[in-house]
Amino acid sequence: MEKKKRGLRFYADIYRKILVQDLKTKMSYRADFIISTIGMIMVNLSGFVTFLILFRNFPTINGWDYYHMLFLYGFSLVALTPVQCFFDNNWNLRFHVTSGDFIKYCFRPVNVFFYFMSEVFDVKGLGQLAFGIGTLIYAWVHIGIPVTPLVIAKLIVFLLTASLFMIALMNAAAATCFWIRNSGYVMVIMFRFKDFAKYPSSIFSGVFSFLFTFIIPIAFVAYYPSLVILEPDNVPLLSWLSPLLGVLFFWLSYKFWMLGVRKYDFTGS
Amino acid sequence: MEDQALVMKNVCKDFKVLNRHEGLKGSIQDLFSRDYKTISAVKDVSLEVARGEIIGYLGPNGAGKSTTIKMMTGVLEPTSGEILVNGKVPYKNRTENCENIGVVFGQRSQLWWSLPLIESFKLLRDLYMVPEKQYEDMIELYRSLVDIEPIINKPVRQMSLGQRTLSDILAAFIHNPAIVFLDEPTIGLDVSMKDKIRALIKGLNKEKNTTVILTTHDMGDVDALCRRIVIIDKGTKIYDNDIEHLKGYFGSYRTLHMKLADDTWEQMLIDEKTTDVMQVITEKQKVTKIKDIRLEEISTEEVIKKIYEGEAV
Repeated sequence: MEKKKRGLRFYADIYRKILVQDLKTKMSYRADFIISTIGMIMVNLSGFVTFLILFRNFPTINGWDYYHMLFLYGFSLVALTPVQCFFDNNWNLRFHVTSGDFIKYCFRPVNVFFYFMSEVFDVKGLGQLAFGIGTLIYAWVHIGIPVTPLVIAKLIVFLLTASLFMIALMNAAAATCFWIRNSGYVMVIMFRFKDFAKYPSSIFSGVFSFLFTFIIPIAFVAYYPSLVILEPDNVPLLSWLSPLLGVLFFWLSYKFWMLGVRKYDFTGS
Repeated sequence: MEDQALVMKNVCKDFKVLNRHEGLKGSIQDLFSRDYKTISAVKDVSLEVARGEIIGYLGPNGAGKSTTIKMMTGVLEPTSGEILVNGKVPYKNRTENCENIGVVFGQRSQLWWSLPLIESFKLLRDLYMVPEKQYEDMIELYRSLVDIEPIINKPVRQMSLGQRTLSDILAAFIHNPAIVFLDEPTIGLDVSMKDKIRALIKGLNKEKNTTVILTTHDMGDVDALCRRIVIIDKGTKIYDNDIEHLKGYFGSYRTLHMKLADDTWEQMLIDEKTTDVMQVITEKQKVTKIKDIRLEEISTEEVIKKIYEGEAV
């Protein structure tokens, strides 16, 4: 029997088909759809209000004025969209693993990680995306950053970079469930950490700055990548390196996730 | 080797389990403990299954059935020994192996929960890259074997357990795999649904010459589907032959049914070599009135029970 090739196109095609079906059913639960959309808007609004109150009292934070902070905020919201939309099933991983249900993802001739993640597409992320883009454009105009193809290209590359870091963090946090029982806490803590992404990493002192840069790379979820756009004349080396680091972190988290799958012994029937 | 769908040679599987200590002090100890004990779940099992065969893979709970199935499907790696599924080592080529197997777990649906069945079928067709013609033919075959109209447009979430099991079995055959593993496919189903499911499995096996490995606790499944059974207990294979052959060993056994004065039926298993049936009846009559008597050959269920209970084969 000839071997079947499953390349990038195959996976993109399958993902699209699953997504279309999934959206179709989601639309059919109108109440659920509307309520969760409203919920997401409320969450974003409350985050935004907190932000405004903060700035009423402190006009600048560590040399960052209102619009620069707003830019960072919008940047982090957009960067967090992919993890919300495409990798949300990480939150369910531990339930599938403890119940033994996870085994069903291992019986298909496709990548287990892909197959697992493809099952859930979280629409709520789209509201966040719209909100983030709005904030970003608003701040962009007020700061007066020139709009050139190069800047736009940079923006896209570094937004993707920032997303990779957040995805990597959530993958790694979720994969701990293959080894420990109460992995829910690890995920919640990681998810809480993302709140720090909204602030310039320079406000954190030595230990935390190191922690958020190298151990739990939250600073890469907005701060370092956004510097490329915000301060094009004064970009730190870490910012330029962030796309590479992002790919590396994502790859490592993926390997860690898959190692968990292999180590997990599927006990119980 | 070519006509064997599955070959296992001296397969063993050990699990390492932490020796847990009692109490709070023990729990803290466990955090740092490297004190593992090894548990052998499967010990030196060899097995050959020919193409198109349906075998009943039986054993009491915890005997090592699921572990074996997980090794056959490539999810677990054996500690030692060799497994070949369709001539390939399953855990080394998991995705390739999956191309050629179908798996159904009685109570766990593998279909997309919120999708109508037909959409699940189409997604599976794409996942397995099944040619359009082959897919159409398979759906045609399904139509001829069971009435799929009531379920084809129904989301899996809204199905009854029976419909879901039926759907899962159909889904497992959609890519025309060489081997299908069925783990307790009739668990929790009513009598008529059980019959339907059995007929479907039999039909698919006949039409497609698919090898079926069936684990079950329901001897009705075995009687309806399998000629050959393999029994494992405590990780060791203790029986591998035809059911008829097995019954032969217990040929002198009879099940005696007696209807007593209060209209209840009492059942006894009697070995005619050692006990006289008439004697038993006479004894019973001294205590109570017997209204009716039926004498039957030993059932598969009784045979299996005897084996589980440790009677030598």
